[in-house]
Amino acid sequence: MLVSMIRCNMDLATELEFKSYEFSGIDQDAGTWKPILIASGSAIAVDKPAAANSDQFLAEVAGVKSRIAAMTSDEKKNVEHWTNNAVLRWNEVALGLIAKYNLIPGPNVDESYTLPNPANPAGPPAFPFAHPPYASRALAYLSVAQYDGLISAWHYKFQFQRPAPYEVDSDIPHSYITNNLPSYPSEGAVLATVSRKILTAMFPLEADYLLELEQQHLGSLIMAGENVPSDLEAGQKIGEEIATIALARAANDGMKNAQAPKAISDSLRAAAFERFGWQWENLESPVRPVGLTPLFGKVKMWSVANVEDTRPEVPPALGSELLEKDIKILKDYAKNVTQERRRIANFWQDGLGTYTPPGHWNDIAGEFILKYRFNSIRTARVFAYLNMALMDGGISCWDTKYYYYYPRPIQLINNFETITGTPNFPSYTSGHSVFSAAAAEVLSYIFPEEGNKFREWAEEAAMSRVYGGIHWTFDATVGADQGRDVAQYTIDIAIKDGADN
Amino acid sequence: MPYLSLAQTPTDELMMSKGDICFLFNFEYGQFDQYWEGETLRKNGTIAKVQRRTSMVMAAYGITKRLNAYVGLPYVSTNSTTPNGGKFAGTSGIQDLTIGLKYEVIRRKGANGEWMGFGSVTYSTPVSNYLSDYQPYSLGIGAPQITWRGVVEYEWNAGFYLRGNGGYIWKGYTEVEREYYYNDGSYFTSWMDVPSAWTYEAVVGKWFMNKSLKAEVSYNSSRSTSGDDIRAYNSPQPTNRVDMDRIGIFAQYFFQKPKGLGLVASYSRVIQGRNAPEMAAFSAGITYQFGLFSPKN
Repeated sequence: MLVSMIRCNMDLATELEFKSYEFSGIDQDAGTWKPILIASGSAIAVDKPAAANSDQFLAEVAGVKSRIAAMTSDEKKNVEHWTNNAVLRWNEVALGLIAKYNLIPGPNVDESYTLPNPANPAGPPAFPFAHPPYASRALAYLSVAQYDGLISAWHYKFQFQRPAPYEVDSDIPHSYITNNLPSYPSEGAVLATVSRKILTAMFPLEADYLLELEQQHLGSLIMAGENVPSDLEAGQKIGEEIATIALARAANDGMKNAQAPKAISDSLRAAAFERFGWQWENLESPVRPVGLTPLFGKVKMWSVANVEDTRPEVPPALGSELLEKDIKILKDYAKNVTQERRRIANFWQDGLGTYTPPGHWNDIAGEFILKYRFNSIRTARVFAYLNMALMDGGISCWDTKYYYYYPRPIQLINNFETITGTPNFPSYTSGHSVFSAAAAEVLSYIFPEEGNKFREWAEEAAMSRVYGGIHWTFDATVGADQGRDVAQYTIDIAIKDGADN
Repeated sequence: MPYLSLAQTPTDELMMSKGDICFLFNFEYGQFDQYWEGETLRKNGTIAKVQRRTSMVMAAYGITKRLNAYVGLPYVSTNSTTPNGGKFAGTSGIQDLTIGLKYEVIRRKGANGEWMGFGSVTYSTPVSNYLSDYQPYSLGIGAPQITWRGVVEYEWNAGFYLRGNGGYIWKGYTEVEREYYYNDGSYFTSWMDVPSAWTYEAVVGKWFMNKSLKAEVSYNSSRSTSGDDIRAYNSPQPTNRVDMDRIGIFAQYFFQKPKGLGLVASYSRVIQGRNAPEMAAFSAGITYQFGLFSPKN
């Protein structure tokens, strides 16, 4: 430690660092893959483009050429930033917004709490509070809509086979590694528009920022030599339409009722006490009257028809030998905070002000997407199934939490102190465990060679909550089983979508 | 929330003779139950009142009568009082080792008094694996620091003195135990850039009892050169812009017998801040100097 180097200037990464790259393949048949929200890649209509030898198209190409010749340094930076796999970039935008809005509303001066209100997003408190369930849902709608939009784009790309400007005129520089994807409709434009529209619905105060990003991304597609304006228009049309379809589902998926009023939350508590003889309590100061999203467990799932099919068995009774054993373990961890347990508790904490556990698993996925050089539609596929499973895992976990209403360690162990913040919802099962196991299963399906690593990480993430002092060991182990179980429903869909042949 | 050490030595006007060694054993107790979240002073039931104890051993050595060297090592413990809403465990351990040099640049006696000027540089670095990203209980900021400071004092023959000092604290990077954090945008790294700071201090003091006792009042301020604000109802983190203004009183007594023994005591209070605790701190310590004791400047 004493000799630790004095580093005067470090480059701290503010984004996943990569440049345009050669894809492992371009998936010519991806237009035939089975989308999630629409019937097929042809479900959204796109006009036949002007032919590659038409005056109209050649005029567009000439226009692109002169715009590139006048490229500013900001425009050049944009081209470098968005790269040829912008799915990763838009995912990063979502992660940043989640971290920005993942702030729990504090108490008012009179010790009451005000909830974020989508009808008055500026608040205070600002809407949304991007907690893990909210984050999993925002990511799921973003990724599913991107994936379906790209399946549509691929369908028409290979139907119309219109060349990119750099292929038509060899004087037009192509800023990216060439992958020979047909240009109409622009997949980048699909992404720019669908992402702007979904994220604006999820983070309404960011409308201007997102519009600016969309414009920058669209501009980069021209400047990179990839697209002409009519490629963008067709892509944006797909983006608008698929986003509208996704947001229609979101409007009626039950999320608007998830943060139930106190009467409902109290009735769930009373039902648990009646059935099991225990009830979780919030111990904050001042006490929060309602736990986090008691009815998130009722939100419409992506791949599971009935959430109760995924609800685990009842946890150990108060006073039982199993619980007493766990109390000993928790006390021992609290008394002996080793360097390794502390590191694990912090590494996976992903608490307030961060991108949450679903965000962490998106971040992890990004690394492997690059390692295996996935193209943008395969990337979108990874995030779609990953985030469907994450959101389904969250819904299943929340159903379990508010059905059993099981107390946290600080409630059952006298004078117990933790190194991690105790969240405002019941203990059983652990959200981190369910999220992480579900994510690890989906990623192991997509990157089988890496499966052991993902599963080890998921186990570590689950145990991190026990080391932190905020979960029982059975919250973690049963939660991990639950996550694997829920993920399998999504994997069963993924296996049959046509991409896996 | 980083805390400034109350160790006065590299910032004061006392120099030791060649070959002298002086030890300081100091204990400081500080507490706060309000802090500035950005520029808004607030309470927080999650942490209730935060207490902080620092035991420090420090040694000063006269390399020459114009050049002194310093070394210091604090042990810190922190916790919240109960009841509190967060139930967070406090923490304790050895914090940062500090080494430093102070050089007497100028000393000029006039008819009414004496001018003195000093320059000092100190370096500190964590010597245990404490986590800087566990605020407000962290032992310190977890980063190497280099402080350059200039000190000017004028002492009248009657024993009054005025002292001013200004310094720049370069603070390096701290490694935390997570690989993502938000600092007005995403950071995908476990390293956090701890903002550097300018510090200023003004002191009015007087010697009493034939230069056996000195007493002073001070005003000091610290301004980060960069950094983000603590976000609403969220924990502070090492990237925060920390500003504070503090007032203090300080006394030092040198025993005639046994020769070489001294006492120090101080009280300070943060009166204005940004992303800083409204800390009030009391400290007391014993100094012992080997060899010729010469309280004359």
